[in-house]
Amino acid sequence: MSTSVTTQGPTPTGSGLEAPSRIARIQARLDSVAGSAFIMPAVLVVLLLSIFPLIVSLYVSLTRLQFVKGGFQLTFVGLDNYAKLVVGIDKDHFLGVFSNPAPIGWLLFGLVVVWLAVWLARFVRGPNFSIGGLVSRLFSGLVISAGAWLIARTLSPEGRPGTVVVTLIYVFTGLVVQYVLGLCLAVLCVQQIPGRRFFRVVFLLPMMITPVGVAYLFRMLADTSKGPFYPVWDMLGLSNTSWATNAWSARAAVMIGDIWQWTPFMFIVLLAALESQSVEAIEAAVVDGANRWQIFWAITLPGILPVSSTLILIRMIEAFKIMDLPNILTNGGPGTATESLTLHAYTIWRTLDIGGSAAVAYMLLFIVTFVGVSYANEIRRRLSEA
Amino acid sequence: MKQIIAKAFAVATVLTLVLAACATPTPQTVIQTQVVTQVVAGTPVETIIEVTAPPATEAPQQYEGVTINVLTFTGPQIAEPLQRRGPEFTARTGATINVATVPFSDLYQKALTDFATGTNSYDIIVFDPQWMGDYISAGYLEDLTDRVNANKELEWEDIGPFFRDFSATYEGKVYTVPLDGDFHMMYYRTDLIKTPPATWDEYIALAKEFQGKDLNGDGKEDFGTCMAMKRAAQSYWFITSIAAPFIQTQGTGEGAFFDTSNMQPLINNAGFAKALDIYKTLSTLGPPDQLNLDVGDTRGLFTSGRCAMSLDWGDIGPLATDPATSTVIDKVGAAIMPGTKEVLDRATGKLVPCDDKTCPYAIDGVNHAPFAAFGGWSGAINAASKPEVKDAAFDYLAYVSAPAQSNVDVTIGKTGFNPYRLSQFLNREQWVKSGMSAAAASNYLGAIEGSLNSPNMVLDLRIPQNAYYQGTVLDTAVAQFLAGELDAAATMKQIEDGWNQKTDELGRDSQLAAYKASLGVKK
Amino acid sequence: MKLWRQKQSIFTPSPVGLITTYLVLGVWAFVVLFPLYWIVITSFKVPIDVDGGPFYVPFVDFKPSLHAWQYILIGDLQNDTFRPYRNTVVVSLISSTLALFLGSTAAYALTRFKYHPRVGTILMFIGCVVLSIIAVTLGAPWQVAVAVSIVLFLILLQTVARRFKRALANHDIAFWMISQRMLPPVAVVIPIYILFQRLGMLDTWPALIIAYVGANLPIVIWLMRDYFQSIPIELEECAAIDGASRYRTFWSIVLPLSLPGLVATFLFVLVFTWNEYLLALFLTNANAQTMPLTVAAQNATRGPQWWYMSVLILIMIVPVIGMAIALERYIARGMLIGAIKG
Repeated sequence: MSTSVTTQGPTPTGSGLEAPSRIARIQARLDSVAGSAFIMPAVLVVLLLSIFPLIVSLYVSLTRLQFVKGGFQLTFVGLDNYAKLVVGIDKDHFLGVFSNPAPIGWLLFGLVVVWLAVWLARFVRGPNFSIGGLVSRLFSGLVISAGAWLIARTLSPEGRPGTVVVTLIYVFTGLVVQYVLGLCLAVLCVQQIPGRRFFRVVFLLPMMITPVGVAYLFRMLADTSKGPFYPVWDMLGLSNTSWATNAWSARAAVMIGDIWQWTPFMFIVLLAALESQSVEAIEAAVVDGANRWQIFWAITLPGILPVSSTLILIRMIEAFKIMDLPNILTNGGPGTATESLTLHAYTIWRTLDIGGSAAVAYMLLFIVTFVGVSYANEIRRRLSEA
Repeated sequence: MKQIIAKAFAVATVLTLVLAACATPTPQTVIQTQVVTQVVAGTPVETIIEVTAPPATEAPQQYEGVTINVLTFTGPQIAEPLQRRGPEFTARTGATINVATVPFSDLYQKALTDFATGTNSYDIIVFDPQWMGDYISAGYLEDLTDRVNANKELEWEDIGPFFRDFSATYEGKVYTVPLDGDFHMMYYRTDLIKTPPATWDEYIALAKEFQGKDLNGDGKEDFGTCMAMKRAAQSYWFITSIAAPFIQTQGTGEGAFFDTSNMQPLINNAGFAKALDIYKTLSTLGPPDQLNLDVGDTRGLFTSGRCAMSLDWGDIGPLATDPATSTVIDKVGAAIMPGTKEVLDRATGKLVPCDDKTCPYAIDGVNHAPFAAFGGWSGAINAASKPEVKDAAFDYLAYVSAPAQSNVDVTIGKTGFNPYRLSQFLNREQWVKSGMSAAAASNYLGAIEGSLNSPNMVLDLRIPQNAYYQGTVLDTAVAQFLAGELDAAATMKQIEDGWNQKTDELGRDSQLAAYKASLGVKK
Repeated sequence: MKLWRQKQSIFTPSPVGLITTYLVLGVWAFVVLFPLYWIVITSFKVPIDVDGGPFYVPFVDFKPSLHAWQYILIGDLQNDTFRPYRNTVVVSLISSTLALFLGSTAAYALTRFKYHPRVGTILMFIGCVVLSIIAVTLGAPWQVAVAVSIVLFLILLQTVARRFKRALANHDIAFWMISQRMLPPVAVVIPIYILFQRLGMLDTWPALIIAYVGANLPIVIWLMRDYFQSIPIELEECAAIDGASRYRTFWSIVLPLSLPGLVATFLFVLVFTWNEYLLALFLTNANAQTMPLTVAAQNATRGPQWWYMSVLILIMIVPVIGMAIALERYIARGMLIGAIKG
C-alpha cells in the first residue's frame, strides 16, 4: 500500500564513528518499515472482518432469499426491502404512526429548525466558508430536521413511535442518565474517604455480567408477582397492574436495566480522568476563595471534557445496538413498544428474511454513522477552537 | 511488578494450553445412572435410578464408529429424552449420539442455514413439522418411506393416523418420525368447576367468577384464566385456537387459515373479530402481566394453583402430578377446547347461529374445532449425510419413538413428549404408575382422544414460510392489538395485508397448492 | 505535577459532605449489590420457592438447597457446563491477548508515525475487494479470486492511483477504526458465517478468536492511543541515540511504562469477549459453544430455569470479578483517555 509514512520521533542512528555493519543496515531497513509493520496487521484484520461483510451485507439487503434444491438463491429486488421499511408494509413498525404533533411538539420542532438556520447562517458568514462545507452542512441540517419532524409527529398523543424513534430514546436518555450518574459517583468517589476502594470495586460489578444474564436478572427482578419487589408493589397498590402492559413503563424498565449495567463504564473512566487532573489549578482557586461548586464548573468539568467526549462517543455507538434487554424482558414489548432497531432486524432474520434484516441493519448503520460523524466533527471543531 | 505480571501471564498461558489439551469427553457406552431429585415433605430427596441399556448383542456393533449429530431446541423438553436415550442406543449399536440445542426461536434459521450453506453439521433435526414445506421443497430432508415400512420395532401403525399424516407425510412420502403429539386443550380446576365450559362465553363467565379470589389458600388474589399472551412466544397459536370454532365448521378439509379456492386469508371477518374481542377480554381476567407471560410462566402459575383455568398443550396433565412443582395434584381436569354457538358464514362474512347446515359437527349445538397446534415434535434426517449415518440415524429415531421407550417418556412431564400412539391412549396403566389417579388419566386422555377424533379438527399451517405468516405477521399484529396499539379492524387489515403480500411474493398458485395438499391429510 | 492521589486536605469533605457522600454511595452500592444478592439466593432455591413468591433470607424464609449447584457442576449437565466454560476461558484469553498486542502496536504507530493514506488507494482497494467477492459469488475458487485481485490492485496502484493526491490523516484512520463498532452485528453475522464456512472453520476456536480480535481491535486502539500520547517522547529519543531499534524501544520502554493502561484495556476486552453472545451463537455449534449461550439456553419452554441460570451467571462472573478486584488499582491508573486530538 503506497501510504506515505513520515516518521515522527526518534530515528535510530549509529554511533557514527564505525562503518555501518550488516546488522546495523538490516536494523535500519527494518526501522524504516516500522511504520507499516506496526499498523498493517491491525488494519488487515479489521479490513478483512469489516469491509468484506459490509459489502456482502449491502448486496444482501438488495436481494430476497429463496430456498431452492440443494442450496439457496438470492434474487435481486433493488430497493424493495428499503421501500418496505420507509413507505411500505413495515412503515408503521419502523418509522411509527404519524399524527399531528402536540403543541409542545410544534414548539420543539420550531426550536430545532431555528437553531439549524442560525447555525447555517453563521457558517455562511464565517471565515471558513466553502461550497463543500455548505453542502455537507445543508445535508446534516436536512437530516436533523427530518429526524426532529419524525420525533414530533410520532411522539404526539395519537401517534406511535416506531423502532427508529424508540432506539433514539433509549440511546439519548441512557447516555444522559448514565453520564450524570457516573459523574456524580466519580466525583464522590474521588474524595479521600475511608472505604473508597470498596465502592470502586463494587461499582464495577454490573458491567462484568454478560448482557444476556443481566437481561434475565432484570426479568426476575421486575416480575411483580414473584420478584423481590412484590411487597413494594403491593404497598403502592399496584399489585393488579403490570409494568409490562404499558408502553412507557415497559420502555422505562428496559432503560433502567441498561443504566444499571452501563453506568459503571462511565464511572470508571470519569474516575480515572478526575484522579489524573492536576491539583495546582484547584489549589490556586481555593486560595482565591472559590467555593466547591465554582471549582467544579470552572475547572474540573472543562478539564475532563476531552475524556468525556470520547467516552460519550464510544458509549453512544454501543448504545445504538441495544438488543438483549428488550428481547428478554418483553420480546419487544407490549405490541412493538420496546423494540429497538437491532431487535427489529433480529426478529426479521429469525424467519430467514435476511434481505429485510440487512436493510434494517443498514438503516441503523446510516443513523449511527450520521450521529457519530456529526458528533465527532463537532467535538473536534470545538476542541481545536478551545 | 513487571515480574508478577509476567508470571501471571505465564500461568495463564500454561493454564490455557492445559485446558486446550483437554480433549472433549469420550462418549460413554456404559450403563448410565440417573439422579432424580424429588421433594418429599419439603426436603429434596435423591433417588438413584439405574437406567440400564438393553443387553448388548454379541455380534460386532452395527454402527461402531458412527457419530450422529442431533439438533433440537433447548430442553429439558425434547432434548432430555434424546440425551437420555443416547447412551442406551450406543450400548446397543455402537453409534455415538451428540445432541446440540439452540433456543427455540433460533432453531428454524439455524437448521436451514446449516443445510442451505452446505455446512451439514447435523444429521438429525428434531423440529416443528409445520416447517416441512420449506425444508422439503429445497431437498434437504431424506425420504424415509422405505425405511419406515421396513422397521418393525417402530410399529408405525400404532402411531395415531393423524400424526402419521400431518407430522410425517408430505406429498405422499414419509419424511419424519413423530416423537410427540400436540393438541391444544383446556385445563380447569376440578375442585372449583364442576362442568367445564363448552363455549367461549361460558369460559369468560367462569373466568370472571374466579378472578380475584384466592384459589390456593395462600392469601393472595388469584386469577380466572392464565394464557400465554407474550409476543414472539406462543400467543399466535392461542388466538387461532379461539378463532378456529368460529371459522371452521365443515370439517378439517375446509381449512381455518385460508380460503381453499383463492388463498384469501380468513382474517377480515366477523368471526376473527369476535375471537379478537374474546382474547382481549381474557387478557383482563388473568394475571396483570399476562401480556408478558409465555407458556412456561402460565404452566407454573396453574400448577401452583393460581389459575382457575388455562389453555395449553398436553404438558399440564403430567406436570400437575409432579409433587416437586405441583400443588394441585388430582385437582386438574382437561377438556376439549371451548367452541361457539355462532359461526362465520363465509359468503357474507357475518356470524350466523349454529344449525344442522352451518354446524354439521356440532356437539349439543356447539361447534368445536380443536386445534392440533404445532403438530408434534418429529425427527427428520439430513439428505446430505453419509449413507451409514443415515441408517444409524433412522434406527435411533425408531428406537426413541418405539412403544417400549416412548410409552414411558410420555408419562413424564419433563420430557415434553405428549401422547401420539394408540397404545398410549388405550393403556391407562402406565399413566397410573407415573402418578396420575385413574380418574385423572381417563379424563386427560379422553380429552386428547376427543380432540383427535373430532371430524372438525383444525390443522396447523404447513405451507412454505409459515414461520413468517404466523410468527411475524399474525403474532406481531395480535401483540399490538392486545397492547392497544391497533384496534380490531386495523389488526385484521394488517394481518391480511401481510399474508397477502407474502403469498403474492411466493406465488399464489404454489402456496394454494401447498395449502390444499397439507389439508388433504387422512384422519 | 501534583495529582489528586496525594492526600490533600481540601479533598477531604466536611462532616455534612461526608454524610451525603456515604448516603449517595451507599444507595448506589445497594442498587448494585441487591440484584447480585438475589442471584446468589436464587441459585440456592428449589423451584417451588422461586415460583411461590419472593423469599429473601435463607434459613429464615426458605430452606436453601444445593440442587441447582449439583445439577450444573456435578450432575447431568456436567459435560454441558465444563465444555462451554473451557471454551470461554480459552477463547477470551487468547483473543484478548492477540487484540491487545495488535491493537497497542497499531495505537503506538498512530501516535508516533504520520500516515497519509491516499483516498485513491483506498478506493482502489475497496474496488478490488468487491471484484473478488463478485468473482467468488459467480463460482470462482476463492484462492484464485484473491490472487487475481491482489495482482490487479498492485497494478492499479502503480498506474491510476498515483493520480489522486488527496490523502487522509491519522485521526481519520483512528475514526475509521472506531466506526467499525458502529456496524450492527446482525448485519455482518451472515457474511462472516459464510466466510468461515467456506474456510471450513465453523465451530472451532480459531474462528471465534479471529472474529473477536476483529471486533475488539478498534476498542483497544482507541483506549491505548491516547495513553501512548501521554508518554513523553524524550525517553524514546534517548533510546534511539543509544542505538535501539523502534521495535526494541517499543517493547522495552514504552510497553512497561504503559502497563496500567494495558492491563485496564485487557480487562475491558476480556469482559467483552467473555460475555459476547451473538457471534458465538452464529459461529459455534456444540463443540465451541461458549458460556453466554449456555446461560441463554436455560430459557426453556417451561420458562426460564432461574435456579440453573443463577448458578451459571455466578460461575461466569466470579473469575472476572476476581480479576477485576486484583487489577483494580491498575484500572484507575490506566484509564487515561486523553483528548480527541487532531
